[in-house]
Amino acid sequence: MTSNTNHKRQTRSAWMMLSPAILLMIVILILPILIAFGLSFTDYGLGNKAFDFVGIENYERIFTRSTYKKMFTATATYSVVVVPFSVGLGLGAALLIQSVQSGRDLYKTIYFLPVMASLLAMAIVWEFMLHPTIGVINDSLQRGCDSPFVYGLLSGSWYGLNPQVSWYANGCLNGFPLWLGDRDYALWTICFIGIWQSFGFNMVLYLAGLTSISRDLYNAAEIDGVSSAWERFRLVTWPMLGPTTVFVVTITIIRSFQVFDTVEAIFPDSGGPGKSAYVMMFAIYEKGIKQNLLGTGAAITVIFLLFVVVITLIQRWLIDRRTHYS
Amino acid sequence: MSSIQLQNILKSFGETKVLRDVSLEIYDGEFTALVGPSGCGKSTLLRILAGLEDLDDGSVSIDNIDVSEASASERNLSMVFQSYALYPHLTVRENIAVPLRMRELNSSQRLPFFGSFLTPTPIKQNISDKIFSAAKMLEIDRLLERKPGQLSGGQRQRVALGRALVRKPKAFLLDEPLSNLDAKLRVQTRSEITQLHRQLKSTFVYVTHDQVEAMTMADRIAVMKDGEILQYDTPENIYNKPSSVHVAEFIGSPKINIFPAGLINQNYDSKLKLGVRPENIKYNDGAYRLKVIISHVENLGPEIQVQFELPSNKDRFYSRFDPKYLGHFPVGSKAQIGFDEVDCHLFDDKGRRLDPSRVRQFFESLNQAA
Repeated sequence: MTSNTNHKRQTRSAWMMLSPAILLMIVILILPILIAFGLSFTDYGLGNKAFDFVGIENYERIFTRSTYKKMFTATATYSVVVVPFSVGLGLGAALLIQSVQSGRDLYKTIYFLPVMASLLAMAIVWEFMLHPTIGVINDSLQRGCDSPFVYGLLSGSWYGLNPQVSWYANGCLNGFPLWLGDRDYALWTICFIGIWQSFGFNMVLYLAGLTSISRDLYNAAEIDGVSSAWERFRLVTWPMLGPTTVFVVTITIIRSFQVFDTVEAIFPDSGGPGKSAYVMMFAIYEKGIKQNLLGTGAAITVIFLLFVVVITLIQRWLIDRRTHYS
Repeated sequence: MSSIQLQNILKSFGETKVLRDVSLEIYDGEFTALVGPSGCGKSTLLRILAGLEDLDDGSVSIDNIDVSEASASERNLSMVFQSYALYPHLTVRENIAVPLRMRELNSSQRLPFFGSFLTPTPIKQNISDKIFSAAKMLEIDRLLERKPGQLSGGQRQRVALGRALVRKPKAFLLDEPLSNLDAKLRVQTRSEITQLHRQLKSTFVYVTHDQVEAMTMADRIAVMKDGEILQYDTPENIYNKPSSVHVAEFIGSPKINIFPAGLINQNYDSKLKLGVRPENIKYNDGAYRLKVIISHVENLGPEIQVQFELPSNKDRFYSRFDPKYLGHFPVGSKAQIGFDEVDCHLFDDKGRRLDPSRVRQFFESLNQAA
């Protein structure tokens, strides 16, 4: 047998062994994406017998209509607010937990609970708590108005500010915000719930990153004359957490793009007062499923996918740049 | 250059006592090796000295000033770690610069980007000069822009040394710095570190489990076992006058032959033990003889190592000979080995070394019996 036929046989068996994986990838990943891409140029609706190609009309609408402008604004605002806070709090919580001697597991569990809980159920609980009249939050705020201590603390008079002009004093006089019912507050409240829900996950990732840092590096830093916790963080902890941070930030951005449960649970019909919380995932759902405008839904999906791909590529590039982290 | 005093150091990890009342005076400018089997507490002792580990009791003094409460950064010592502990995100130059930046710049000068503008040029020049001369000394000046991940083990080791000697510390602490190198590089680096010590004339404290490193590099060796210092002396005295069986057995390869004194003198106190180094075992020679069987021969090239077995109890004797005698040792055949009084060490029932006068006494009684 010549080496040539041998080589051919090897190639053939290699392809045969690869084929199940390739087939699955085509069927459940590549084909749906291609179909979505194709549909985004049509006016197809589920159940329709035929459809027409409409060219880039769907995309044109997305980039011209004010509803979609609100969609991009809401999604971008959500990401820009949630990502830094969720990453920062995750890192902070991880550092604090790392530094305590006892009760680590208790704190870990507490912070991780929101991640494990069903976001849909949690959103409903938050909706109750934030209810303008019967919710516990406004109720508590209202009670604080009568206590000089709480009033002084929240109005900032302890800091020497004029309590009369503060947000809290205004709330005491004219009533506290409607939160989810107010277009100026709705998206920020959704952001808050998003941060509350997601930072525990980042904390766990950072905790894993922290335990992998060699104790010797901290010892070396101490010998080299590092005396403050801040210098130690800057010289060792933060750089060594670099790969973790790239991963955490990427995953948090993608997850923040995917926010849907809270919006769907709290604003099932509208996407928030004045569409102020009309995030991308909700738009895809509303257009594609509820209104059966599959073409439009597919077009938003393609744009969504594009964002995710770009972020993933940036992540790859950042990881490759750090080859020295061996 | 400084002397270091360790007094009555106690340290436990939970229930385990790691150091039991260790006292040690490390002399100014000397190369001191802490040597012992793994788990003997030598690394813990070094880390306590460095300030990286708290002590339960006792005191650490540098130049007779108590520093037990001082943090590691305040003690002004340098340390080379077994894992090298280089900062992987910094270049070689930046790694070596860290101790200088931390000690010679204020916090605003250490800021990223802006710090460089806030640092006066003479200080910057001074730092870069020091880095360059340290790098030159260790022959890593061409690697300054590389990251640790791009260096070989030996090069990383040099960078770790460079980071230690770029400033003038009171003493250099080295924690098994050669154990991650291959055998050839280890021998080379061994002599280079000794040379550095000669050049710098600074105090070195060197932790190792390898008795060869301790013997070849140190001015003075502290042999440790189970959290105690068994003997603290010059390499010559450690080898020639080991204070106990443990020290005698730990230093020297192949191991010293330890056997009951009764083997050659049935009348004598059977609890005593005799020790004879392999190189002092003679073949068909020596004042005192034993009948043995040749059980194993290893040819190392420059020497041959022969193992003999006693016919009665299978105790093994190790010896080394010139390779020209290779033909004299057919495995399995009977032979006679011997040794002389001057080469004998006598240990009591607790393993302590007995005075040479007792050795003489022992052999005199033997001669009388014969």
